[in-house]
Amino acid sequence: MYNTKVRGVLVEGNKSYADITRDIIEPIESKVPDWWKYAFIISIGALLFGVWASYITISEGIGTWGLNNSVAWGWGIINFVWWIGIGHAGTAFSIFLLIVRQKWRTSINRAAEAMTVFAVLCAGLFPLIHMGRIWMAFYIMPYPNTRGPIWVNFNSPLFWDVVAISTYLMASAVFWYVGMIPDFATIRDKTASKIRKAIYGFLSFGWVGSARGWLRFEALAMILGGLTAPLVISVHSIVAMDFATSVMPGWHTTVFPPYFVIGAIFSGFSMVLTLMIIIRTVYKYQSYVTDSHINAIAKILVFISLIMGTAYSTEIFIAWYSGSEYEYYTFFNNRISGDYTIAFYGMIICNAIIPQLFWFKKIRKNIILVFIISLFVNLGMWFERYVIVVTSLSKDYLPSNWSTYTPTVVEIGVYVGTLGLFICGVLLFLKFIPMIAIHEVKGILKPTSNGRYHKK
Amino acid sequence: MTIDKAYTVPPGLRVLSLLLIVTGIATFTAGILIDPQRTWANYLIDSYFFISLAIGAMFFLAIQYITQSGWSSMFNRVPEAMGSYLPYAGVLMLIFIIFGSHSIYHWTHHSAVESDVLLQHKSPYLNLPFFIIRFVVIFGAWISLMVLLRRLSLKQDIAGGLTNFHKSEYYSKVFIFVLALTFSLGTFDWIMSIDAHWFSTLFAIKNFISAFLHGSAVVALIVILLYQQGYFPKLNKAHLHDFSKYMFIIGIIWAYMWFTQYLLIWYANMPEETVYYQTRISSEWRVLFYGNVVLNWLFPFLFLMLNKIADNKYALLFTAAVLMVGMWVDLYVQIMPGSTMSDTSPMGLNSIGLVEIGTFLGFLGVFTFAVSRSLSKANLIPVKHPYLEESLMHELH
Repeated sequence: MYNTKVRGVLVEGNKSYADITRDIIEPIESKVPDWWKYAFIISIGALLFGVWASYITISEGIGTWGLNNSVAWGWGIINFVWWIGIGHAGTAFSIFLLIVRQKWRTSINRAAEAMTVFAVLCAGLFPLIHMGRIWMAFYIMPYPNTRGPIWVNFNSPLFWDVVAISTYLMASAVFWYVGMIPDFATIRDKTASKIRKAIYGFLSFGWVGSARGWLRFEALAMILGGLTAPLVISVHSIVAMDFATSVMPGWHTTVFPPYFVIGAIFSGFSMVLTLMIIIRTVYKYQSYVTDSHINAIAKILVFISLIMGTAYSTEIFIAWYSGSEYEYYTFFNNRISGDYTIAFYGMIICNAIIPQLFWFKKIRKNIILVFIISLFVNLGMWFERYVIVVTSLSKDYLPSNWSTYTPTVVEIGVYVGTLGLFICGVLLFLKFIPMIAIHEVKGILKPTSNGRYHKK
Repeated sequence: MTIDKAYTVPPGLRVLSLLLIVTGIATFTAGILIDPQRTWANYLIDSYFFISLAIGAMFFLAIQYITQSGWSSMFNRVPEAMGSYLPYAGVLMLIFIIFGSHSIYHWTHHSAVESDVLLQHKSPYLNLPFFIIRFVVIFGAWISLMVLLRRLSLKQDIAGGLTNFHKSEYYSKVFIFVLALTFSLGTFDWIMSIDAHWFSTLFAIKNFISAFLHGSAVVALIVILLYQQGYFPKLNKAHLHDFSKYMFIIGIIWAYMWFTQYLLIWYANMPEETVYYQTRISSEWRVLFYGNVVLNWLFPFLFLMLNKIADNKYALLFTAAVLMVGMWVDLYVQIMPGSTMSDTSPMGLNSIGLVEIGTFLGFLGVFTFAVSRSLSKANLIPVKHPYLEESLMHELH
């Protein structure tokens, strides 16, 4: 029972089933537009910059970065955490909203899951490059070996990270792919090109759409969803523990794991918002990603922003309340005042204050403003990781160790490279994969819209 | 039978709640005469216990409005009624703050503060006048928002339409906004400051999740009990399954919070933090400390995993009852060691006797009285709720 009068319509524009298939397959069937080509070239350029920076890093060593003995984690870890955070969007959308039966997720989850896969790929690069000796990377895999009693440190959250992230990447890629099988079959059946027919036919595993097939498909989706839900929590909890298990002031605080998970969903949702606004404008998908979809994401963002604000203030309060002079110094002399105020206030303003504008319906309805605010959140979440990583390390217990940190062009290059990789991946996704889950939108069409469903 | 049969408080229940209150007052008075410290600590446990239930239920209600949940709209009056316990809670808590806080809070003793640098550092925050101001602000905010939401819901019953519904959604958001700060401060004040030296940023969030978990469980409990008496004839397996999902999932989040706080403090191994757990995992506290996890998470997690059990009303009643015991144990382990520690008993008391049971029954009586009274004052079902039809015809597929 879906009351469209109260809840609004999810698919606008009186779409029929045939319209949905046609609209969503259209970018795959037609030639790529010019903007796509330019964007692709730019993203490849950025990617090449990153390849160069990675080459320098690997061939000459981590010394080419701005790190020093005190600030041993810089942009590498900041960007790692930032990307991982963005990578939470797909799972949050597909799984959490699936569990709580929010039907509006159907037109967004495919793109969000694609983002997840690319973002986690980008994130995974950073620890590898950060090793300096990347050829040693297989040392992080625990297996009986010929090196004698050399094992990974099972007590280390850094190792938990490896396990959690690789599992997460695999699970979300499988979840994403399985969800696309019926859509690949749709493309196979509709396409005019023989090559595409062969490729998508292969990818669709011979999907025929039988009742039995659907039954298995839905059961599998639920099982994969159920498995991935705890995974997504575990990933960012463990990333938080990379920091919180230490005794560094500003890092060791018990709220870190849930606060990181929430922050990750925050950045993921804002990135989804950024991308969906672009996609729906460029591909004219306003009927599917409607204003009320944007409205709903904005509401989630304002809610999470509130949690972030509470977490920030709790941390600051406890830093004083605990009576620990180190905690106090980190928060009050090295964040609220001191050398890193830009990042700190950037974080507070972008994450806790600006999204509060979404309380106003007028702002939620203004797509340009929503777009700008979503960019602010992406920026703010980057600042947050900067504040956490750099401020705590730069001034720790021993004043003779204090030092400042500025990134070099090589570090910036690696970051730009991952941005290129991400955009490149998203562009390929837009071209070759139905960016809205055709079968899911069709599944909700009848109860949630006032359309005709079938052509006369 | 019509679905909107009005609820009347059965005379037996009224008598029972009064009897419980009398029992509570009697054991409390006896307890104060024999061992005031232990009795006030119990008073605080039970106060916070039922405040948590009321707040958890209010949060449950707010979440239903905000997420536009249809399935639960038929039961909205139950969390509303649980929220209506808040004024009673305010009075009971005020009595504690005036008469009992000196017995529990170490930092209210001037002599203790004078010889303790850390308490002097905290004294701008931890001092009685400011403590009382915070209490008033917190309860003022909660009660006014509770009354507001209740009024809007009652207005809706008469007027229908969507205006009041949209207002309810808006004030639900305001409520959550206010709750985020007030519940944190309240929990720091009333519980964390017992161990005045100790601190944990996660503490309030964990207790908030606990409130949400147990509040939802009690919503389910009351709904099923009413169903047994012939109300909510449209309650079906799908509703029950949804209720059990709440217990199941929030139970997992609860365990996550519990484990996170423990793991991080254990791992970093800093004396100023481990001292809290040191008392609780050693000696006779150990059973309750680990039992807490079994009651609040392990049991519901394993039990409700099977679908056959998850939509069975007796199984849900049983789980909710276990969760109630779990919550009491959780609070007992949080409050008791710090508040009854003394020279003669360095680990604090650890015996559960008449004082514990009697005080709890007294509070249970007040809670039962408040909830049943509020339920009887309005339609049991929000007859003009826009999602009512969805709720009545709810099915899972």
